[in-house]
Amino acid sequence: MNGAQAMVECLKAEGITRIFGIPGVAIAPFYEALYENPQIEHVLVRQEQAAGHAASGYARITRRPAVCVTSSGPGATNLITALATANADSIPLIAITGQVDSSLLGHDVFQEADMRGATESFVKYSYLVKNVNDIPRVFKEAFHIASTGRMGPVLIDIPCDVQRMELSKAFRYPEEVKIRGYKPSVMGNGQQLTKVIAAINRSKRPLICAGGGVILGNGEEVVRAFCEKNSIPLVSTMMGIGTVAKAHPLYFGMLGNNGKPYANKAVANADLLMIVGARVADRAVPKPEKLERRLTVIHIDIDSAEIGKMLGPTIPLVGDIRHIFDALLEADIHTDTSEWLEELEEFKHTTVDHRVFSDRLVNPMTLVQTLSEKMDDDAVYVADVGQNQLWSADNYVMKNGRFLTTGGMGTMGYSIPAAIGAKMADPERQVVAVCGDGAFQMSMFELATIAVSKAAVKILVLRNEYLGLVREHQEKVYEGHYSGVRLYSYPHFDKLAQAYDMEYFHADSNDTLDAELDRFLACPNAAIMVCDVDSANNTK
Amino acid sequence: MKGIFSVLVENKDGVLSQIAGLFSRRGFNIDSLAVGETDKHDISSMTIVSTADQRTIDQIEKHLNKKMDVIKVRRLEEAKAVSLEMMLIKVSYTAQTRSSLIELCSVMGAKIMHISAKSIMIEIHNTPDVVGEFLELLKSFGILEVQRTGTISMAKG
Ligand SMILES: Cc1ncc(C[n+]2csc(CCOP(=O)(O)OP(=O)(O)O)c2C)c(N)n1
Ligand SMILES: [Mg+2]
Repeated sequence: MNGAQAMVECLKAEGITRIFGIPGVAIAPFYEALYENPQIEHVLVRQEQAAGHAASGYARITRRPAVCVTSSGPGATNLITALATANADSIPLIAITGQVDSSLLGHDVFQEADMRGATESFVKYSYLVKNVNDIPRVFKEAFHIASTGRMGPVLIDIPCDVQRMELSKAFRYPEEVKIRGYKPSVMGNGQQLTKVIAAINRSKRPLICAGGGVILGNGEEVVRAFCEKNSIPLVSTMMGIGTVAKAHPLYFGMLGNNGKPYANKAVANADLLMIVGARVADRAVPKPEKLERRLTVIHIDIDSAEIGKMLGPTIPLVGDIRHIFDALLEADIHTDTSEWLEELEEFKHTTVDHRVFSDRLVNPMTLVQTLSEKMDDDAVYVADVGQNQLWSADNYVMKNGRFLTTGGMGTMGYSIPAAIGAKMADPERQVVAVCGDGAFQMSMFELATIAVSKAAVKILVLRNEYLGLVREHQEKVYEGHYSGVRLYSYPHFDKLAQAYDMEYFHADSNDTLDAELDRFLACPNAAIMVCDVDSANNTK
Repeated sequence: MKGIFSVLVENKDGVLSQIAGLFSRRGFNIDSLAVGETDKHDISSMTIVSTADQRTIDQIEKHLNKKMDVIKVRRLEEAKAVSLEMMLIKVSYTAQTRSSLIELCSVMGAKIMHISAKSIMIEIHNTPDVVGEFLELLKSFGILEVQRTGTISMAKG
C-alpha cells in the first residue's frame, strides 16, 4: 500500500464518504487512490476557497469534521481564506494539501508554497508529513484535534513523493491518540460550578448570552432545558442564532451593534450575565470593560484562552457545554425571575426601533421575515456578508432550523459554497443561501458545481447595485464620498441562471414578493431569485 | 509585572517559530527567550520572560497551554526560582582604562576570555539584574559587541 492509498484508508476509517476539492500534479497520487475507491465521492468545486467553505457547510450540518483537498502552491494558497474563516468560527475541517517532493522542500521549486508557515495562525494545528509510515497516526490525530476541545481546521500537507512511497509496515489505523500536549478540559471544575450556582441564586436579573459555541457543542437542547426549568431569559450573538426559536417566550433577540435594541437593553439591565460559548467579540459587546464594573459575569467556554481575553470575568468555567449544563440542570436553582421577565417583555414591546426601510422596490426587512416564515421548519439559511447579513440576522424567523454564517471573519462569498456543502450533508432539507450582489460575484463560479451535482440549492440575491455595507460606511463616515462601491446591475442574472440550467425568479416590489417567493421555494431544483432592494437602505 | 515561564515543548521543527509567532501575533512582549534540549532528546525546554500586566500574563499562559506542541507550562515566581543569564561582551580599552576594567571584572566575578590590542572580551553569568548592571557599568568604556543568552530559570525545591 502506498501513502496515497493509506490516506484514503484513513478517510474511510473516519467514516468520510464525501470530500471537496480540486486536483493538481502534487496531489495526483491521492486522486489515483480515490479513483480506485469510488465509495468516497469527490465533489469537484471550481475554486479551492469554495472547497473549504463547502466543507464548512458540510461539517456544520453533519456536526463532524469535513474534508477538503487541494494541490500544492496556488491550489493550496487559494484555500487559506477558507481556513481562516473556519478557524475564526471554530469549524472542524481537515485540509489535505499536496506538496512538492520532500527532497525539494525549501528550494522554491515550481508550485512550492510553505503551507505550514502560511497558515500558522489560521489553523488549530498543522502537519507536514515526511515519513509515509506516519500517515495513519497523523490522520487519526488530525481528526481528533479538529473535533475536540475548541474545534477548528487542521492542515495536512503531504509531499507528492510521500504519497507515492510504499508503507514499510502493514496499514493499521490507530484506535487511540497520544498527544502529550493536548488534553482539552471537558468536565467543568466542581468548585467553579458551585460558585456559578450560588451566583445564579443570588441574582434577581440573570441573563444568558448564547454564542456559536452552544451550537458547535451540540448544546442547544440542554441550554434550552436549563432556561425553561429555571425561567432564565436569553439573548444570543449572531453565531448563537438557533439556540432557541425566535418565538420562544424566554428569547430576547440578538445582542450587539447590529442586534435588537431590546436585547442590548436586557444586557444593560441584567445583574448577572452568563456568557456561554461566545467570544465576547467586539461586534457583539462593543465596550466589554463597561460590563465588568456593573454586573457579575459568568463565562463558560471550552477554550480557557477565550475567557479573560476581552473582559475579566468574575467566574470563569472551562469545559464542555453539555457536561456543564447537564450539571446545572441537576442543580438546585431557586431564583425567582418573574418580575425580571415582565420587565424584559415590557422592553420588547416598548423599545422603538428607529430604523426605517425604503418601500421602494423590495423592503429587506419584509423580505427576510417573509422568506424565513415560508421556509420549512428545519430549513438551513446560509447568510453571506454585508448589509444583507445584518438584515438576515436581525429579521430571520428561527423555527427549528439552522442559521449558518461567518461571524468571525465575515468572508464575502461564503454562503453559496457553504450552502452546497449543507445541502449535500442533508439533501432532504431545504437550503437557501442569501447573499448580496457583491458576494454573489465572489462565488458565482460555484453555480457549475451546483449544476453538475444537481444539489437543489436555492440562492437569493439582494441586488442593491452596491457593496452596500461599505457604501453605508462611506455615507456615514466619509460624507457620502462613494469610492469603489458601485456595482451597477450586472450580471444579467436571468441569463446566468439559464447558462447553468437553473430556474430564475425575480421580485422588484413588495407586491410581487410573496408570490414569487412561493414559486422560488416550491421549485424542486436549484434556483436563483433576485430581489431588487433600494440602495438607500441602511442597517442602522 | 514580570512573567517567567518555563515551558516544555516537543523538540521538532516549527515549534520555536510557533511560539515566537504566538507572541508577535498577539502583541505579547518577549523580554528574553532561551531554548535548549532537555535530558530527553524529544523534549526541549524554553524559558520565556515577558513584562506585561497581570491579565496579559494570564493570557500568555493560557495561549501557551493551548499550543498542541507545548507539553507543560510552569509560571515561576521570581523569589521562588533561580534565574541566570550569561553574557559575552567586547569592550575597547586604552592604557588608561585597562586596569580599572580588569578590577571591575574581578569585583563582578566576570571572566576575561580574550584580550587583543584594542579590546577585551568578557564573560559573566549571574542573575539577569546583575548582568544588566554590569552592562551599564561597561558602557563608559565603549562597548563593541554584546551577546546575551537570555534568562534560564528553574523553580527551587
Ligand atoms: C472577501 C471580502 N472582501 C471584502 C470585504 C469587505 N466588505 C464587507 S461587506 C462588503 C460589501 C458586500 O456587498 P454585497 O455582497 O453586495 O452585500 P450588501 O452589503 O450590498 O448587502 C465588503 C466589500 C469582506 N467582508 N470580505
Ligand atoms: Mg450589494
